[in-house]
Amino acid sequence: MKFLCLICAEKVMEQMPEADAAAHFDEYLEFTAAIRDSGHFAGCNRLLPPASAVTVRVRDGKLSTTDGPYAETKEQLGGYYVIDARDLNEAIRVAARIPGARLGCVEVRPVAEDATTLRALGLPGAAAHP
Amino acid sequence: MQYLLLCCFNEDRWQKIPESERNRIMQEYGEFQQNLAASGRYRAGAKLGSSATATTLREQAGKPVITDGPFAETKEQLGGYHLVDCADLDEAIAIARRIPTLRAGGAVEVRPVEFGHRE
Repeated sequence: MKFLCLICAEKVMEQMPEADAAAHFDEYLEFTAAIRDSGHFAGCNRLLPPASAVTVRVRDGKLSTTDGPYAETKEQLGGYYVIDARDLNEAIRVAARIPGARLGCVEVRPVAEDATTLRALGLPGAAAHP
Repeated sequence: MQYLLLCCFNEDRWQKIPESERNRIMQEYGEFQQNLAASGRYRAGAKLGSSATATTLREQAGKPVITDGPFAETKEQLGGYHLVDCADLDEAIAIARRIPTLRAGGAVEVRPVEFGHRE
């Protein structure tokens, strides 16, 4: 099964003292190498700070864009991993090792891999990251 | 440059849409995704289980704290995402504009990616 692990924190890398951010990057280097070795890794990305987000809506056929994320929250999405795990318990064990879990939180969400979704999205098999 | 397009929708509202209409919207998603793949801009994407299936981990005093549900209660919930390659934000918004979530009343958050892995 695939799980999306959303890493959310009150402070993103850009808002930390440089030395703290450098140490945090090193922790991510170590964690990511470890889950590549264990076969859990399916994908990941770090996002630029929430201030760089643009939210798009369409009302009555008209496009509107607003600066900032779709919802104001205390903790902000900073990045994510897509992991392969046998079940939710294994996904939680992997997610607990994400360095961001110690500073903010990690939301673990199963990826929909039912036949209807895969057919509708034109995805071959369960490949979320082709 | 890579952009993450977060597709957000009020789940209650989605469930109130007749099933045939929901199937039609998902079909449009398939067409959107295939066009995007054909254009070479598609990197990754997935539909997620409902926010009720989410689990959130935090750490307090060195101990893991696990709660059911998403990290934040919001009016619209994250339902899926697309990772796309674009020249700039304008192109990313032009692609986001075609996502069927919008016509159904949802929102798409466009976020630049700091560094992208390439499998």
